[in-house]
Amino acid sequence: MSDAHEANGNGGDADNGHEPAANGALYGILAEYDTPGELVEAARKVRDAGYTEFDCYSPFPVHGIDPAMGIKRTILPLVIFIGGFSGAVGGLLLQWYCNAYSWGWNISGKPTWSIPANIPIAYECAILLAVLSSFFGVWAFNKLPQVWHPLFRSDRFARVTDDGFFIGIEKADSRFDADKTKALLEGAGSIATENIYLDPDPENKKMPKWIMGIIIASTAFALVPFAIAAKARNSKSSEPHIHIFPDMDFQPKFKSDQANDLFPDGRENRGEITNTVARGWLEDDEVFFHGIEHSTGDAGDSWTTGFPKQYPDSPALPPDLRGAPFAVDMKLLERGQNRFNIYCTPCHGYDAHGQGMVPTRVRAGGGNWDARNLVDPKGPVVQMPNGQLFNTVSNGYAKMMGYAAQIPAWDRWAIVAYVRTLERAQNASHEDIPATEQGSIK
Amino acid sequence: MSLTKNLHPDEKYKAGKLGTTMTLVGAAIVASMGILSIILGAAHGDHFKRFLYAYVIGWSFAVSLSIGMLWLVLLHHLTRSRWSTVVRRIAEAMTGAFPILWLAGLGFILPVLFGYQDLYFWANPAAKADPVIAHKLSWLSPSFFALRYVIYGAVFIAISSYFAKKSREQDESGDPKISVTLRRAAGPGMILFAFTTYLTWLDILMTLAPRWYSTIFGVTFWGSGNIGAFAALGLIVLWLQRNGRLVHSINEEHYHDIGKWMFAFTFFWAYTAFSQFMLQWYGNMPDETNWYKYRMFGDWQWVTIAMLVGYWAFPFVFLMSRWTKRIVPSLVFFAVWQLVFHWLDMYWNAMPQYDWTTISHGSTTVNAGPLAGPIAMHHVGFTPVDITCWLVFIGFFLMGTGRGLKGNLIPVKDPTLGLSLAHEQL
Repeated sequence: MSDAHEANGNGGDADNGHEPAANGALYGILAEYDTPGELVEAARKVRDAGYTEFDCYSPFPVHGIDPAMGIKRTILPLVIFIGGFSGAVGGLLLQWYCNAYSWGWNISGKPTWSIPANIPIAYECAILLAVLSSFFGVWAFNKLPQVWHPLFRSDRFARVTDDGFFIGIEKADSRFDADKTKALLEGAGSIATENIYLDPDPENKKMPKWIMGIIIASTAFALVPFAIAAKARNSKSSEPHIHIFPDMDFQPKFKSDQANDLFPDGRENRGEITNTVARGWLEDDEVFFHGIEHSTGDAGDSWTTGFPKQYPDSPALPPDLRGAPFAVDMKLLERGQNRFNIYCTPCHGYDAHGQGMVPTRVRAGGGNWDARNLVDPKGPVVQMPNGQLFNTVSNGYAKMMGYAAQIPAWDRWAIVAYVRTLERAQNASHEDIPATEQGSIK
Repeated sequence: MSLTKNLHPDEKYKAGKLGTTMTLVGAAIVASMGILSIILGAAHGDHFKRFLYAYVIGWSFAVSLSIGMLWLVLLHHLTRSRWSTVVRRIAEAMTGAFPILWLAGLGFILPVLFGYQDLYFWANPAAKADPVIAHKLSWLSPSFFALRYVIYGAVFIAISSYFAKKSREQDESGDPKISVTLRRAAGPGMILFAFTTYLTWLDILMTLAPRWYSTIFGVTFWGSGNIGAFAALGLIVLWLQRNGRLVHSINEEHYHDIGKWMFAFTFFWAYTAFSQFMLQWYGNMPDETNWYKYRMFGDWQWVTIAMLVGYWAFPFVFLMSRWTKRIVPSLVFFAVWQLVFHWLDMYWNAMPQYDWTTISHGSTTVNAGPLAGPIAMHHVGFTPVDITCWLVFIGFFLMGTGRGLKGNLIPVKDPTLGLSLAHEQL
């Protein structure tokens, strides 16, 4: 109570009649103004009178209040710039560490440390840190939050969030004089003035427990993912992983090669039904679909050496091919070249020497492997009957997988024809050149 | 400290003879530089191909300024802007350049229409052999191209003259309802404006590289044009003030906003230009990367680097500061700087397509058009006609703008004028 007496003795008066009972030392004087314009004019007068320890309070930003109060421009933009710049650099470093240093990751052949791909993330990080710097910078520069601020002890001040415009001059200002300061504020057109006192109990000058509780709890909660990640990196677990969407992970449907009690054989796989064939899968032309020639004699079945005579009249084929004669013409060879270049060149190369991009890459990695040279005159492919070559394209051989699933039978025959063309072209002799052109090549 | 202000009693807001002066200066530039350009173009000995490329670049430069200011006028009404009321009449004057620019553009449209084959490769019979271009030829035929050119011009001229005319009407009648009418018109106007702008750049500049694909080209171009448009606005306002007009009405608060728009579009341009580049670089499809191949390697890479540093990094860093935009000399420096680089942007978009390559298959020789063949054969090949054609179109732009600078240079009875005069940055 002695503080309160001292404050009153310093000139605080009680003319507004509802001064709180328990007051500490005088904090300052609060004056209310009617309009933002008057607030700006009053701030200018207070500034001109030489005060520095004062502030204006309004429900919304008021144009021109900063120069009227004589306060310097904020350095917040600089802080935001530094934040944004750090975000950009940090984003780049993060990607360099993740993608290029710690765990190099080849994405469509791009370099692991590849600036264009890193710009979007760096850009987003720059924005994130700029915004966070701005948000927390505003709090920090305004020394917020101050829920214990003595101005909140004034009932009148509650209207600052609605329609009240206030100037508060603090006692800490060197020019503060209870009477003169009050006269100045009233002279500037205030509609009310009021003395503001500190809370007598210094214990109240701290953040309420519940706010601190929320801050601590949310900070702790935000650390949980990091804690889990740290634990996972340093321990082993035999527990199955957590299923966040169990109905997506365990769908009520049959998958191939799974056990199931529903059927007597305990499998989910259902084989083909006897004496049926799926629509479009009737491959009754052995030559066309399998490259096999049936023989009536003792020799048994053998690879066909020629090409099919005609396309089978099957719904599996495109309408324009059904039943059409099979012609080894330029159109077929161009189709074969097109398919070969798409499906075969990655390993066998465009010239079929077996040195496509995959072997090239294997060599680049220190390995030594070539795909089969398809045009080597001493190699097996040149000697193969067409049917066997067709079968190899369909079902694969050694490391090579079968392409029956990707390439329909008629295109596989086009590839066979094109491979034969390549063999011929790569092993041509001088006599193969038309007589009219032979003279031009030595 | 009040929220509105009245027009200063001593304010000189009548254009007087200034507009005529600008038109005459523009006409003098057009006449002198035009003759010089034709002589230089003929001396080039390539059937005016270089001349026409430079001509398209100059035309694009000038038109993009008017388009940028038409956008400002539409945006002003659409959002009930306050700061821009004091400069709106000048922006309207800059959109007044549309008719003369569209007439001047016939300089390259008519040759294409009447069978000139060396400007746009799609107009060349050799283009039919290219399967990628062949399926675009239904859109890219000379007659349809010329028809679209007329439609785009009609749309731009209709929108801009409507807004300018109504604005002048309000000067006479002071009817606040005109502001409401224009606000209602600005919405559909903006949509129409967006489509027309996008398609104009697709047709005029992008089809110089007819094999290429990009869906963001028109947007990037518009962003780039707006940098130049706001720079030009700032310079014209300064020129008017140097001649004693509007000295009390337009102050550093308004320059600050012009600078902010320049800054914003400097970044916007970089954002969209990089988006285009990054997606095509990442996708790595030959039809798309081919366009960048000739710009990232060989001679042109230096122009590309100059663009990155000069059109984005340098102005971006400095225009970020509040003071760069508020101190008029520094704003003027960046306005001139960005106008030069805006022209370079046009140059960079169009001129790499100048070199056409012929490829031999045995005895037959095929014209492969732009962006083909070895990179080393494609040179920047900077020539004087590039500059003189640019100056010709600066002249055309000044002629058109001068036409619009007449009567009141400020919308004296606009209801928001008071707010605009008192405008202050927070």
